[in-house]
Amino acid sequence: MSDAVFDSLEEVIVDERFPEVDLMLRRGRHIGRDDGSLYDYLVEAQALLEPFYRRFGGELIQQSDGYFYLLPSGERLGRRQLSVGEMLVGQVLALLYLDPATLQHGGMATREALLQRLSGLLGTDALVRTLNPRRRKYDERIAAETVRGKADEALRKLADLGFIDVVDAARLRLRPALMRFAEPVRGLADPSDALERLVARGEVLLGDANDMDDDSGDAEGEEVLS
Amino acid sequence: MTASDPNRLIASLVRDQVNLDLKTADVCFLAGLYLRADKAGLASFEEDLLIDLFEQVCDVVEPAAENPRKRATHAIQRLREQRMLARVDGAGIVRAGEYALTRLAAAVIEYFLADEALTRESLSLLTGTLRAQLADILATARKAHSDEDWRQRVVAPLRITVGDMVAGIERRQRGLDAQQEEIQAEIASLLSTDWFSAIDRCQSLLDATTHTLRELNEILLRDTHHFVALLQDIQALAVSAENVEAEEAAQRVIEHVDRIGAWGGARQKAWSEYYQYVHRYLRDVVRLDPDRALSQRLRDQIADWENRSFHLFVAHAGSICLLRPLEARVERPAVARPRTDRETEPAWVETENALADIEVMVSRALDEGVDTLAGLTVQVLATLTDDSQYVVAGRIADAAARLARLRSSRERPWREVGEKLEVEDWTVQGRRKVE
Repeated sequence: MSDAVFDSLEEVIVDERFPEVDLMLRRGRHIGRDDGSLYDYLVEAQALLEPFYRRFGGELIQQSDGYFYLLPSGERLGRRQLSVGEMLVGQVLALLYLDPATLQHGGMATREALLQRLSGLLGTDALVRTLNPRRRKYDERIAAETVRGKADEALRKLADLGFIDVVDAARLRLRPALMRFAEPVRGLADPSDALERLVARGEVLLGDANDMDDDSGDAEGEEVLS
Repeated sequence: MTASDPNRLIASLVRDQVNLDLKTADVCFLAGLYLRADKAGLASFEEDLLIDLFEQVCDVVEPAAENPRKRATHAIQRLREQRMLARVDGAGIVRAGEYALTRLAAAVIEYFLADEALTRESLSLLTGTLRAQLADILATARKAHSDEDWRQRVVAPLRITVGDMVAGIERRQRGLDAQQEEIQAEIASLLSTDWFSAIDRCQSLLDATTHTLRELNEILLRDTHHFVALLQDIQALAVSAENVEAEEAAQRVIEHVDRIGAWGGARQKAWSEYYQYVHRYLRDVVRLDPDRALSQRLRDQIADWENRSFHLFVAHAGSICLLRPLEARVERPAVARPRTDRETEPAWVETENALADIEVMVSRALDEGVDTLAGLTVQVLATLTDDSQYVVAGRIADAAARLARLRSSRERPWREVGEKLEVEDWTVQGRRKVE
């Protein structure tokens, strides 16, 4: 931190932005430059907040793309893994974030573009099977409806986590935090090695998450609570 | 034919088979003619001039085209058929023709000319003229004495001259909006095709547009303030002169000017956001991935999801447990009834064997000479309560069948034996012998 705005942890905590930022971080929210003064606060208080959260068993992480998030590593802070739907939607949004066509619209993408990319990359059948692992037979119309429903659900949760902003019914503003989904392939190393490193750092969990996309409307990824 | 009669208008367009088919070369040719006429003050063109101009246009639009002279002849003919060019000399074949642009052609070209973008020069010129015009109208308004003065020297200039100028600024604003959209598309296209090597060009495009917008906004901020002040003075004079028409005309122009001012602020803000976003993109995405490998690797990662899935961890604080407000517990009384000895002592009662008595009563009735089942039933039922009649009727028939010889016709008649009961009747032919 070059500009030492805060001299002590007390000053950091007394700041009026602390409660909001603290709650957001503990709820898994990614705080980026788009969040304005909250991001500035984190930049200014980073040196003092890092040891503060470490005492709770969490790592306050700042990425070069311009966002912060809290990664629980111990037992004290609750954490959850993202569901299959959230992961797929997140990765496709990251791809859209990298696309110059999105740049033309100032970082806006549409739900329709997301679904087109999603089915284009995975194939409709694979997509339906991945999002509905328990259903062996499916009607095309119902399957499409289910996929749209799952995507909407995933978008809502990704918006809560600060990966995107939902502008209106059709448009989404993509945020730099989406680059977390591209983390395993950002370097030139083998993706498997990169994934292992991310696992070691407690950033990701490998393998299938069996019961994460159940049919309940409020289903979330598996919760790992202390 | 009036403008308010769409049926007749459409019918006549269909009858005349009106259609417009202008190629780029045609539009360029017409634009060249329009500008030449404008510059040289020409009312019409000689045929040779038309052909020369077409050849010049052809050199630019289709440099490889063969036989431009012949193409010029066809183009002139095509434009005449579409009422874009009109021959005005009336000499027929006697000499080469003289042609003029029609109103339609002028309107088409004026549309393209009017669609130009707002520039620092055009905006300064327009705002300067507008300010002078408004000052002039204000001076006139101060001297206006009659309604006629107000109408001719204030309301009319406000509506027409000032209105046209303000509309001209708005039109150019729309042109600049379109230009910005094109720049955004161009930046996206440059990055799509050249990626890393397009950074500098994108940067200069961004900077140029930002500079233009800043300049325009400065002019608008400064000048719209003057316009509104002048217009408010005119409006105040109109109010004191109780001239509603002039007051409304000034109000309309004030609203237009406000809109123009708001445009500047909104566009600068929007462009500033876009500018920052593109800068971040260039820095975080393009510069860090000069070979544009990341997108492909990410695509592969998604396609291979089924074989190599992973899940990000995020913090997930449990929901706060909200305790309910304290309520006094309501004691519900247990359901109970007073203790008592509900056993009663047994008592001797008369035996009831009404059904057993039926046979006796049937026998007695037979002895009395009753000769039909209905008669037997009526007689026996009369001695019993109403609630047992249905059951008893069957037993009477049973007893009658056992005690007497009965006969029934093929169609057994139904006989009423009580208020709600009928039986199929039999005839008694005498008692059976008792065994």
